[in-house]
Amino acid sequence: MSMLVADGLTHRFGSERALDNVDLVLDTGEHMAVLGDNGAGKTTLLRILATALRPTSGRLTIAGLDAFGERRRLRHYLGYVAHAPGLYPALSARENLEFFCDLQDVDRSRVDEALATVGLTSVSHRRAGELSRGMQQRLAIGRAILHDPRLLILDEPDASLGADAADLLAGLMHDRTTVLATHDHALANRLCPRTLVLRHGRSLGTATHLRVVR
Amino acid sequence: MLIAGAAIFFYAPTDYLQGPVQRIFYLHVSSAIAAFGCFAVVLAGGVIYLRNESPAADRFARSGALVGVVFTTVTLVMGMLWAKTVWGAFWVWDARLTSTLVLWIIYAGYLLVRRLADPGRQAARFAAVVGIFGFIDVPVVHFSVTWWTTQHPGPVIINDALPPQMLATFLFTMACTVVLAAVMIAIRYQIETLVDEREQVFEPAKVLVAREPEPVQ
Amino acid sequence: MNPFRVALAVARKDLRSEWRTREVVPALAQFIILALLIGNFGFQVDSRNAASIAPGILWLALVFAGLVAFGRTFAAEREQASLEAMLMTPASPVAIFAGKAVAASLLLIVCEAVMLPALSLFFGTPFSADVVAAVLIATVGMAALGCLFAAMVARVRARELLLPLLTLPLWIPFIIAGGQAVQSAMGLPGSYSEAISLLIDFDILFLVLTSLAARFVLDE
Repeated sequence: MSMLVADGLTHRFGSERALDNVDLVLDTGEHMAVLGDNGAGKTTLLRILATALRPTSGRLTIAGLDAFGERRRLRHYLGYVAHAPGLYPALSARENLEFFCDLQDVDRSRVDEALATVGLTSVSHRRAGELSRGMQQRLAIGRAILHDPRLLILDEPDASLGADAADLLAGLMHDRTTVLATHDHALANRLCPRTLVLRHGRSLGTATHLRVVR
Repeated sequence: MLIAGAAIFFYAPTDYLQGPVQRIFYLHVSSAIAAFGCFAVVLAGGVIYLRNESPAADRFARSGALVGVVFTTVTLVMGMLWAKTVWGAFWVWDARLTSTLVLWIIYAGYLLVRRLADPGRQAARFAAVVGIFGFIDVPVVHFSVTWWTTQHPGPVIINDALPPQMLATFLFTMACTVVLAAVMIAIRYQIETLVDEREQVFEPAKVLVAREPEPVQ
Repeated sequence: MNPFRVALAVARKDLRSEWRTREVVPALAQFIILALLIGNFGFQVDSRNAASIAPGILWLALVFAGLVAFGRTFAAEREQASLEAMLMTPASPVAIFAGKAVAASLLLIVCEAVMLPALSLFFGTPFSADVVAAVLIATVGMAALGCLFAAMVARVRARELLLPLLTLPLWIPFIIAGGQAVQSAMGLPGSYSEAISLLIDFDILFLVLTSLAARFVLDE
């Protein structure tokens, strides 16, 4: 069964069209990369897929459910890492995760697991505001997996991660359906068999093992 | 409206105490009633919009708010002119004036929120909330000020007794004003419909046949 | 998760953040003291008119401090995109809203704890449980309204302009009844019990309305 079906997703900010009639179908366990220049609409698309934003028109079905009608139910399925980390700077890394455990209604023991997965155990007591950008990104990723989501939506997670980004992400993604937006073509190729290319809000289609010739 | 204007000036007798200025009263009160009517439209539009996201409801609410501001402004200005002539002061903090001023401020807030929020769903949603809270607030403010004056008794200033000819004129003027307001709302609604179509911020969700994306080589 | 526990977690998080950064409370407390000082000089207060002027100054200071306190609650979240992260969890938006409103009220109450004794000190007016009760009861309703519009305004441009414009008309009943309550408590004519019961009525009315409206304002 398809995990995610997007149909004619269009989004306008005022008179500006950020997304224009984008379709996509994702099967369970598939990894898909979304490529495109800045302003092509990647973040808008990902926010819609994560049900953080409602499109001006179009339909989205996730795990067979209408994504916007059943948003609360789908929260358990979805893990979203936004462009900005959205952490609480005055709270420690651990406290940040504990807070979200409470909101996600999962046991706090998951915090240690998540910290280990993203490699932040040694700095868990440090305030999130004092962490480097890369560590904050990792923390945001850790937060997204606290509830063990089946579907992961990652908006340029590699932007501040170091050289081991690919390994970290591969580990996260391996048994989860994933949509990954990135600028890094090599990373996209390595991690994701399918790629969707966006340009000025329009989908240029998807391909497997896309090779970009410059 | 012209007939109403003629009636105001020629038919109704001059008020004994206040002189010709009293004639402002007809239009002033009619405006106020029209303004409240518009506000009710804003409320209804807002509630309906929040329930089922109907763009038409939002358009009505928008139109009602704009026309309402106009009538409220007219009410306030006329009230101030009348007050200056009759009482010697432009403004008094009694229940009616205060709540009308609050009404005006809420409308202004409504229109500003519409303009500043993301056009389309967000603007409509936020404005609907403002409209609903505002509608409830105006009588609450009126009540509060009335209550406050019972705590601090002072001279009673508004005398509403009306001889029959004046009453007839007044009712007629009121009817005309309300009709005018309704017409203005209808006209504005048409304009808003055109604006919506041009900017297409409220496209209904289209259900397309799911197509497989074309592969790119 | 139980909405009360969610609200509690959110409130605790906000309070903990404030405790560690101490951004809001000192600034507000300082503002309030200044307002009292200015009031004293601006109104030429002496022992005869103190009781009639003090309540006005109290509410003036409270209103402006409230606008700042509630405005900040959502502005900070917005800047850090953390509000969206919270809304991405299964937690109920109304519970999240309630948690933030409670935390913001507590911060304001801390400032009130500074302001009321200072008011008594500077103006020689009585500092009684009646005054405190009136202010606290009013704070509840004002907080709910202030936070609702702060949440709305956080996503919109020109928020410093818009927040007072939207909030003040709704705060007027509280200022009227609260002003009367404080005046009565300070010995001026008027019914204290009527004023308090009005405040409670307003609290109930606006708490109900706000909790119904919260999901439309917070969620997409």
